[in-house]
Amino acid sequence: MRRVSKTSPRSSIYNSKVYGLPTKDIWTCLTCGLCPQECPQQVDFLSFIKEEREGGQPLDVAHLGVFTELAELSSKLNGNIKEKTTDSKYGYFPGCVDSLGLFLHDVKTDFGEITTSSLKLLDKLGIKPRVLQMKCCGHDVLWQGKKDVFDRLKDYNIEYLKESGIDTLITSCAECYRTFSKDYELGIKVIHISELLDKLGLKINAEVTYHDPCRLGRHMGVYDAPRKALTSNGAVLKEMEHSKDKALCCGVSSFMNCNEQTKALRIARMDEAQATGAKTLITTCSKCLAHFNCLKSEKDAVKKYDFNVVDLTVFLARQLEAGK
Amino acid sequence: MNEQAPKTTEFEPNILAFCCNWCSYAGADLAGVSRFQYPPTVRILRVMCSSRVEPAFILKALKEGTDGVLIAGCHIGDCHYIDGNKNAEVRINNTKKALAKLGLDKRLRLEWISASEGLRFSEVIRDFTEEIKKLGQNPVKEVK
Repeated sequence: MRRVSKTSPRSSIYNSKVYGLPTKDIWTCLTCGLCPQECPQQVDFLSFIKEEREGGQPLDVAHLGVFTELAELSSKLNGNIKEKTTDSKYGYFPGCVDSLGLFLHDVKTDFGEITTSSLKLLDKLGIKPRVLQMKCCGHDVLWQGKKDVFDRLKDYNIEYLKESGIDTLITSCAECYRTFSKDYELGIKVIHISELLDKLGLKINAEVTYHDPCRLGRHMGVYDAPRKALTSNGAVLKEMEHSKDKALCCGVSSFMNCNEQTKALRIARMDEAQATGAKTLITTCSKCLAHFNCLKSEKDAVKKYDFNVVDLTVFLARQLEAGK
Repeated sequence: MNEQAPKTTEFEPNILAFCCNWCSYAGADLAGVSRFQYPPTVRILRVMCSSRVEPAFILKALKEGTDGVLIAGCHIGDCHYIDGNKNAEVRINNTKKALAKLGLDKRLRLEWISASEGLRFSEVIRDFTEEIKKLGQNPVKEVK
């Protein structure tokens, strides 16, 4: 693996507020979670980065910070906790797929399909969830150091979830899953949709490869559920050179640091996927999906990749439709 | 204009207008030169093209408490940069959809105003001001 950036965890700790030497190093970290996993001293580097960033000014926010602005705007509004008639014990939160679809229209990905597919698959499993109209989970603003905005979103969402009376929260996004599980104190069960999908009983005849999103894999330790969801439905899984806890990062997280270094990471990951020979790259995070498809749809790309990048739920729902 | 306006306690909206350099800004200029009256509720920002206006700018303006945002550009087909305003239309419509979820979509407006339409400029401002007055103040909360 080629080294693409000078960021080192040790230097960002030594040059931090802790030692009175605040530098910009903490902002170049992608928070992929590989350092704390490899650290022999078990330093919780992710929490360090999260706390150190608090109140600071992010260095390099992608898309001119449109998603941050949207989250901040919605955090300042009252919102409407409307009571719906469904009294399902399951709640499904689609995440920010709507705004991703609206503001990333040049990535050529139908983000809304993740929601419709998830609902189709849940329907097949006999789960009729209540679709939650919460505000953004606040993942991006939290990692961008805007703790005040995150707290406002969190307070609203916790209130909303209490009002809704659900006992299981299903998300189809790895980032929401991490945030609701680790950064909220909900007291209800939070599950990622991939943990339910192994009982679909599909007969897929395809070779696929799977990319572990950092939020689902290293942050939450869910490696086997999405793989099982693919293999138990008949798909042949071809692992990439780096997979599971060794998986490479898709390059960008929390809409920060979209630059040439992270592009090199994306290319490295896409090359590994190409090398497996599978025709579909599957992931479970809408951000990874956006970043890979962004690289794929670049007009003047040096390399052309001839495989599709799709979300796990979209892939399974398409197979479900085809099998009917 | 502000000095002559009668002092009232009525809600005076704060509108931010992004006007493109080639048509709408000239249209606003013509409205001023021709002395077409329009309410002093609008702050005009000149941009080179309506497609220069990023969704982030609009969201930021609303977040900071602006009551309405107007984007004015050349008529379709008249763009100085050939199809800048078509791109702007796509963008603004997408932003509108995102704002609709928050109930703020009526506070954003896209208008085509050419350099010769001074009267139209004043009408658009008057109309938009009335609409914002009906909607009331921007609901964003002050945070400490």
